[in-house]
Amino acid sequence: MFEKHDEQLVAQALKGNKRAWMALVTRYEKSIYHYGLRMTGNPADAADLMQDIFVSVFRSLANYRGDGAFKGWLFRIAHFRCIEFYRKRKPEQSMDDVPEPECGRATPEGEVLNDSTSQSLLAAMQRLPLSQKAVVELKFFGQFTFDEIADQMGLSPNTVKSRLYSALSRLKLDLEVEHAQA
Amino acid sequence: MPKHDKERLLAKWLDDGLTPDERQAFEKLCIDDSEFAEQVAAANQVSMMAEQFEQVAVPQWNKSSTFTMPEKARWWQWQGLPALSFSSSAAAIVMVLSGFQVSVDDGRMSFGFARSGPSQQEIAAMVDDKLNQYQLANQEMFGKYVDAIALQQKESAAQLTQYLLSSSRQERREDFAEFVKFINQQRDDDQRFMARQLNHLKDEIDALEGGYIMPPVSGE
Repeated sequence: MFEKHDEQLVAQALKGNKRAWMALVTRYEKSIYHYGLRMTGNPADAADLMQDIFVSVFRSLANYRGDGAFKGWLFRIAHFRCIEFYRKRKPEQSMDDVPEPECGRATPEGEVLNDSTSQSLLAAMQRLPLSQKAVVELKFFGQFTFDEIADQMGLSPNTVKSRLYSALSRLKLDLEVEHAQA
Repeated sequence: MPKHDKERLLAKWLDDGLTPDERQAFEKLCIDDSEFAEQVAAANQVSMMAEQFEQVAVPQWNKSSTFTMPEKARWWQWQGLPALSFSSSAAAIVMVLSGFQVSVDDGRMSFGFARSGPSQQEIAAMVDDKLNQYQLANQEMFGKYVDAIALQQKESAAQLTQYLLSSSRQERREDFAEFVKFINQQRDDDQRFMARQLNHLKDEIDALEGGYIMPPVSGE
C-alpha cells in the first residue's frame, strides 16, 4: 500500500541508497528470472543472465530518464543482455537462425518445471530463433504492446508483428509435436 | 489478403485494439482463411499457456553484488590532499622566512610581516592608553581633595554648632542668674518693706498704747 514507485527507488539508488536498489531488484527479480529461463531454457543460464541484467541495469541507472515505465526500460536492457549472452555463446549464430539442438545436454526445462504444459511451451520456445523468441516472450509473458516491444528491441512495429506471426506458425507445429509426444 | 494485413489484424486483435470494421474483417478472415484461423488459435493457445505457466521460485543469488556503486572515498583518501599538504608546507616556509606575524589586540586581528617599530595604530593606542591612565589618576586625586574639603567643612560646622550651643547655654545661665538675683533682690526689698511696715505697725501700736495718734503713712 505504501510501496514506493520505481522512479523514487531509482532516484534513491542513484544517490547510493543500497536498500532502495535491493527493493527494486526484489520487485523485478522474478520477472527477469523467468524471462531468462524462457530465453535460455536453462535455470543456471537464467540465473547468470539475471545477475548480468541487474548489474547492467545498475550501471545504466543514471541514463534512465523516467520518461517511460521502468519495467519497459528494464526489459530493453534485458533484451540486449540476452543478445550479448547468445553472442558470447555462439558468435557465428545470427539472431534469426534456428538454434541447433545441443546433443548430450539434459533437457533443462525438465530440471526446473513440473508442469507438462509449461515444459512443452518452454521446449517449443527453445526451437525458435532468438529474434522470434524475444517477441513471443515480451508479448505473451511481458504483456507489452507491439509499440513497446518495437521500442525495446529497436525495431519497427511492423517487423515485430511479422516476427510474431512467423513465431506462431512455428510454435503451432512444435506444440503439436510436443502434444503428440506427450 | 496480403500477409502483412493479416499480421496487422492479428496484432491488433492481440492488443485488443480492433475497430468494428477491423473486427468484422478479422472474423471474416477467420472463417474464410484456415491458415489465419490456425494462427489465431495458436496465438490463443500460447496466450493461455503463458497465463498458466508454472511459477518457479527464484534461486538464492547474491543480489548485493549488483550494487556496484564505488564507495565514496574517505576524506583522507582525497586526491587533492597531497597537493594541499605540499602547498601548506610551502606557505609555512614562506611565512617563517618572511617573519609573518599575527597579532590580536582588542579583538582585532592583524597580519603583517616583520618590521622594526610599532605601527601608527599601535602608537595611537599607546598614547590613548597613557592619556586614559593620566585622566584616571587626576580624577582620583580630585576625588580625594573633594573628600578632604567636605570633611573639613563638616568639622568646621560641628565646631561652630558646638560653639553656638555652648555660648547660648552660657548666656541662658547668666540670664537665669540675673533673674535669680533679681528675684532675690526683689525678695530682699519685699522683706525690707515688710519689715518697715511691721516696724511702722509696731510704732502705731505703741502710739495707740501711749495715746498718741500717728499721722497716716502715704505712698506705700
